[in-house]
Amino acid sequence: MAEETGEYETREEYEMSILDRISDRLIDGFASFIGLFKKDWRRRNQSRIKEWKLMAYAVNRSPPTLLGLIIVIVYIFIGIFGPYLAPWPYDFFPVNYNYSTQLAPPGSTYFLNVTQLQNGYIIHYTTYIHYMLGSDTYGRDILSILLSGARTALVLDIFIILIGPTLGIILGLISGYYGGAVDETIMRITDMFLAFPGLILAIALSAVLPGRIQNFLNAHVWAQTFVLKLFALHPRDVNNLGKLLAVFVALVIVWWPGYARVTRGSTLTEKENLYVEAARAIGLPTRTILFRHILPNIIGPILVMITMDFGGIILTEAGLSFLGLGAVPPIPDWGNLINQGSQQFPQAWWLVAFPGLVIVTVVLGWNLLGDGLRDILDPRTRRSLEFKLKKKSKGGEASA
Amino acid sequence: MPEPIVEIKNLSVYFYTYAGVVKAIEDVSFDIYRGETLALVGETGCGKSVTSRAITKLIESPGKIVNGQVIYHRDDGSTVDLLKLSDEGIREIRGNEIAYIFQDPHSSLDPLYTVGYQIGEAMEVHGKVRNIKEGIAKAVNILREVLIPDPENRVKNYPHELSGGMKQRVVIGIGVANNPRLLIADEPTTALDVTVQAQILELLNELKRKYNATVLLITHNLGVVAETAQRVVVMYAGKVVEIGTVDQIFHNPLHPYTTALLRAVPNPLGKIEKLESIPGTVPNLITPPKGCRFHPRCPFAEERCRKEVPKLKEIEPGHFVACHRY
Repeated sequence: MAEETGEYETREEYEMSILDRISDRLIDGFASFIGLFKKDWRRRNQSRIKEWKLMAYAVNRSPPTLLGLIIVIVYIFIGIFGPYLAPWPYDFFPVNYNYSTQLAPPGSTYFLNVTQLQNGYIIHYTTYIHYMLGSDTYGRDILSILLSGARTALVLDIFIILIGPTLGIILGLISGYYGGAVDETIMRITDMFLAFPGLILAIALSAVLPGRIQNFLNAHVWAQTFVLKLFALHPRDVNNLGKLLAVFVALVIVWWPGYARVTRGSTLTEKENLYVEAARAIGLPTRTILFRHILPNIIGPILVMITMDFGGIILTEAGLSFLGLGAVPPIPDWGNLINQGSQQFPQAWWLVAFPGLVIVTVVLGWNLLGDGLRDILDPRTRRSLEFKLKKKSKGGEASA
Repeated sequence: MPEPIVEIKNLSVYFYTYAGVVKAIEDVSFDIYRGETLALVGETGCGKSVTSRAITKLIESPGKIVNGQVIYHRDDGSTVDLLKLSDEGIREIRGNEIAYIFQDPHSSLDPLYTVGYQIGEAMEVHGKVRNIKEGIAKAVNILREVLIPDPENRVKNYPHELSGGMKQRVVIGIGVANNPRLLIADEPTTALDVTVQAQILELLNELKRKYNATVLLITHNLGVVAETAQRVVVMYAGKVVEIGTVDQIFHNPLHPYTTALLRAVPNPLGKIEKLESIPGTVPNLITPPKGCRFHPRCPFAEERCRKEVPKLKEIEPGHFVACHRY
């Protein structure tokens, strides 16, 4: 008991940086927020809160992870609010009003003579458009498309991750746990998917699927409205959704086999543990053993893989759009911009450079975060981080 | 006449490995009587654990129960063959009427859940409590029964926060949580140090008395057998070689293997120059010796032993042996 209190005392003497204080505040705030709804939650989960704080300290001491975290937070923020932050709507074509706005260089400003039908009157007015990052072949503001395109990327990212890996994890768990014929069947199907390079399979699927998906959408109005809301698109673009969703379906189909393999491998080693047999011996049903006991024990590497794949999906999706599959103009999409730019390169370099930069930054952000998470989720490396913390505080005492 | 709770009849379990078919146990038959402590002894790899797991179909692929019956006598007098039950049916019996205690407490608890949760889960799955929360509340009483000090706080501990002996008490707690009729303890003391071993055995005996349960104790420690069991089943290379009461086995061992096994136990009272051992090694169970499986190591082996498989014969009341000498 004395040892325990001693340990806590040294913990109090950690060298706290500003970041540590901020993260402490955030975690405490979150804990009290939950405390509002669940009485007693804070007291019962003290050790968990402490653990979270230690995790935050580890993040604070690893600049790359912090950088990755910031990039990811900014990406998610823009993904949610980007369409509303954009100075111009993605489907506003200045080229209709002033032909010279086509491929305007960064930093230029153009006047537009707009003719609009409003409340039954035809109104003429003159406005100006400032291209901070240049314009595309339709005279659209690149900055606006990048901001609106973040939504497209984020929605695809999240939904592909929600469906693909979940499918893979379930199949992997079943395959690894049951073994034998079940395992063989699932793994040979996985092999079939892995036999094709993911990108090639995705290309094939996104070339075949759009028609069917479009038919489905046209038949179901609720699905139409839902997808339009999700991507923050104008109802006018409903006929372009088929191609966008084709990429989504193609990537889901391509994305599960890797997870099935990794999960199966971890399950094979984990199920040999005696606690799995003990769980069977107390009569737990198989699904409880799989999801309550095996999955939480192997989730670490899968979590890291998911984080990394957030970046990977953006990259693959951009690659498909670049090849002319997936999102078509006017749907805002980063890869599609680069596709346009490739035809105008190098004169209109900004069409390639800025979307490219955004894609690289976001992918890098997810990768840095994933890398950091791997260190933090691995107890061995994390302990060493914590020891570093402790030594520092002791050194401080000695010098004082 | 004691009434049986489980009758194991001609049980055979094979493991289909790449090297060949391992005949882990063959034609194993014995009864477990209500209220007794039956010890299953034999050296490592003789099929003790396989037998115990086969009782509730816990054999995992590549293992397969190829033959046999496990007749279970329910409380109301009806009988059922456990090996013929559906997965759902056997699940209701596991942990509820027949519970297990495994040998390594360090790995038989899930590291991610508190011990209270794991005890509660055992009760929840059989509908003894409405939800895990209630189960955790009841787990306090169970921890008190397995003599864990300060159970109100220990219930919130994770397995890594407890010592080996404490963990084994928790594992026993999970075993007795549903008040089972048959408790199968698979070498419950092997992973613990000697001072704790005695405490755990005493605890098992006490719980058995309290719950009026039947215990199948698997061990290779003959000291433990003499201390706790009433009857003994001796196994060798996947076969039952001798069954008898503790008295019969220890004072009048009939099978040459049992005799050799007893001689190998050092006697602290006598002066010993050298520990006795049984010559030879345990046979490979992919191609077991023909006839009596012990004949390559048996000092009394004769021509008949190499050809004919000996059957279990009752020599005196309750004392069975599988040897051609009787």
